[in-house]
Amino acid sequence: MTTKRLLAATLVAALTCLPALAETVKVGVVGPFSGPFSGSFGEPFRQGIETYVAMNGQPADGIEVEFIYRDLQSPDPGRARALAQELVARDGVQYLAGFVFTPNAIAAAGISAQAKIPTVIFNASASAVVSQSPYYVRTSNTLPQVSVPTAQNALDKGYTTVVTAVSDYGPGVDAETSFVKAFTEGGGEVLESIRMPLSTTDFGPYLQSIQLKKPDALFVFLPYGPPTFSFVNAYRDNGLDDAGIAFVGTSETQEVDLQSLGEAAIGLETGYFYSAAHESAENDAFKAKLAELYPDAEPNPATVSAFDGTHALYEMIRATGGEADPDGAIAAIAGASWESPRGPISIDPKTRDIVQNVYIRVVEQEENGRLVNREIKTFEAQPDYGAAQ
Amino acid sequence: MTNLHRSIGAAAVIPLAAVALALIFPNQQAFLAQIAITALVVLSLDLVVGFAGLATLGHAAMYGAGAYGAALYALHVWAEPLTGLIVGGLAGATIAFLSALMLMRSHGLTFLMMTVAITQILYEIVNKSRAVTGGDDGLYGIVMKPLLGVFEFDFYGRLAFWYAAVVLWLVFLLLRHIVASPFGLTVRAVRDDGDRVATLGGNIFGHRVALYTLSGAIAGLAGALSAQTVQVVGLHSLSVTFSADILVMLVMGGAGRLWGGLLGALVFMMIHHYAAEIDPVRWMLFVGAILVAIVLFLPKGLFGGLEALVNRLRGRAPA
Repeated sequence: MTTKRLLAATLVAALTCLPALAETVKVGVVGPFSGPFSGSFGEPFRQGIETYVAMNGQPADGIEVEFIYRDLQSPDPGRARALAQELVARDGVQYLAGFVFTPNAIAAAGISAQAKIPTVIFNASASAVVSQSPYYVRTSNTLPQVSVPTAQNALDKGYTTVVTAVSDYGPGVDAETSFVKAFTEGGGEVLESIRMPLSTTDFGPYLQSIQLKKPDALFVFLPYGPPTFSFVNAYRDNGLDDAGIAFVGTSETQEVDLQSLGEAAIGLETGYFYSAAHESAENDAFKAKLAELYPDAEPNPATVSAFDGTHALYEMIRATGGEADPDGAIAAIAGASWESPRGPISIDPKTRDIVQNVYIRVVEQEENGRLVNREIKTFEAQPDYGAAQ
Repeated sequence: MTNLHRSIGAAAVIPLAAVALALIFPNQQAFLAQIAITALVVLSLDLVVGFAGLATLGHAAMYGAGAYGAALYALHVWAEPLTGLIVGGLAGATIAFLSALMLMRSHGLTFLMMTVAITQILYEIVNKSRAVTGGDDGLYGIVMKPLLGVFEFDFYGRLAFWYAAVVLWLVFLLLRHIVASPFGLTVRAVRDDGDRVATLGGNIFGHRVALYTLSGAIAGLAGALSAQTVQVVGLHSLSVTFSADILVMLVMGGAGRLWGGLLGALVFMMIHHYAAEIDPVRWMLFVGAILVAIVLFLPKGLFGGLEALVNRLRGRAPA
C-alpha cells in the first residue's frame, strides 16, 4: 500500500516536473533567408544565432530556446505584419528577432507593441525604428552612429572640403545628412552632395565631375555588392587617389565584400562598428566557432549583430526565467552592457538602441593575401546621433 | 428559377469561404486579410487583362496610389476608415483615368511598356518625396479610428480580415453585375474584335478608358485597405514586381473569369506562405515548379481546370 502510494506520488511529482524540465521559449526570426539579400543578411543572421547557441548552450537549466525562421525577401510591410502576427498568435513565440528592412520592422512594431513581444532588431537601421515599439531593442547600428565619427575623423585628418556621393535610398540619405551636419558643424565645407540612383553601375561620370571640384576627400555610402565593386574600381581608374582626393567610407569594405574587392581596396579608410580583424579574445572565440560550424562563412557585421542579438535574447530569457514577462525582459536588457566580438557595447536604457565603439579602419593585405580592415583609431561609446532628429 | 438560385449561391461563396478560412486559420487573420486584399487587386486586374484583353505590368500604380492616398488622408486629414477607403478608391481612379487617356491610344507591347513606365515614374516621385512619403523607409504612424465608430482594429487582424472580406464581397457582387451588363458585354466585344465594334458605331476608346478607371478605383480600394490594416505603406506597393506577382496570380487562377482571380490569389498566396514556412531557404524552387506545372497542365488556369473536372464528373463534354 505504502509503496504503491509512494510510487504514485513519485509519478505525480515526475509528471509535474516534466514540463518545467522541457520548458521551451520560442523566438521567431524574420529575415531574407532566400532571394538576393540572403547572402548579405539571411545567412549571416542564421550563422550568428547558431554560433552563439553553439558557444553558450541553453540560457539556463531547464530552458530550451527554439528559433523559428521565417523568410521575408524584400521590403513588404503587409507580409511582415502578417508573419509577426502569425508567429505570435499561432506559433506562440515569446520573442521576435531579425528584420533587415526598415518598413518591415516598422510594420511589425504594431504587433510587438500591442502583444507585448520583446523584439531584437538585427539590422533595420533607420533611427526611428526602435522608437516604434516600447519592446524594440537594436543590436546593429544606425547610419548617423557611424557617419558622425567618420566625419569627425575626416576633420581630425585636416580635410576641409568634401563631396558626398551616396546611393539614393533611405540609408544613403541618412548617411549623407548626418555626415554633412557633423562635417559642417566642425568647420568643414561640403562642396556638393550627390545622390546616385541605386541601379547605377557606371560611376565614371560622377567621379569625373567630383575630380573637377578638387575636394580634399570624397564621402561615400553604397549598398552591398556590385555597386561597391564598380565604384571602388572607378575611383582608382579615374585616378582620384592620385589626385589626392581621399576615400572616406563606412560599410563599403565590410567583410562580405572585402575579398571580392581585391587590390583596389587596399588603403581605403572607413569608419564602421565591426572589423573581423578586431583584436580581442571574444572576437577570436567567435571567429573560431563560426569557422568550425561554417567553414566558408566570413564574419560579417550582420553576423555579429545577430550574435549579439542572440545574447540580448538570452539575457532577457534568463532574467524572466523563461516566463512570458515582456516588461521584465525589457527592463533586464535596457542598460545592459557586455563585451561583444566587435568590442564593448551596451543598450541605452532610455532609447533601447545600441551604444558602441566606431572604429576607423584601413584595408591592408595580410601575408596570406587576404584583405583585412585594420583598426587604427577608436571613437568610444557612440550613441545613435539620429535619435533626436 | 435555377438562374436565381445560382446567382444567390454564387453570392454566398465569398462569405462562406471567409467563415471557413477564419475557422481553419483562427490565428492567422492578418495573413487572411492580406489574401483578401490581394484578391481584390487581382480582381481589378482581371477587368483589364481578362475582360478588356490588355496585358499590363503597371497595375501597382493604382494600388499604390490608393495606399499612399489613404495613408496621407489618415495621417493629415481624418483617420476614419470608410472615408479613407473612398479616398483610396478615388486616388486609384484618378491615376487610372489620367494614364488611360494616354495608354488607350497604344496597343500590345507599346501598351505594356507604357504601363511599366507610368508605374516607375510614380515610384520615383514617391521615392524622391521623402518629406511627404517617407521614401523607401515607408510611410508610417497611421492609427485608424474604429470602423463605423464601433469596431477597433486589433493586432490579431480579425477586424482587418472581415473588413477586407466584406469590401471584396461587395466589389465582387458589383463586378458580376457589371460584366454581365451591356457595358461589360461591349468591353468583351472590343476585346474579341475591336474593329467590328468600331464599324458598328461603338466607342472603343471610351469603353476602355471607363473600364480602366473602374479597375483603377478597385485597385485603389485594395491599396487603401492595405494602408489602413498594415499601418505602413512601402514602395513595394508601387513596384513592377508587385504588378508582375498579381499578374501571375491572375493567369494561374484563370484570366477572364472573376472566380479565376479570386482562386488564383488564394492558391498563390497559400502556396507561397506554406512553402516558405516549410523551407525558408529553398522554397522558391517549389513555387516555380508548381507554377510551371499549372501553366503546362491547366492552360485555362485553376478555375478552368476545376470547371473541366466538374464537367467531366457530370459526364458533359468540356466547354
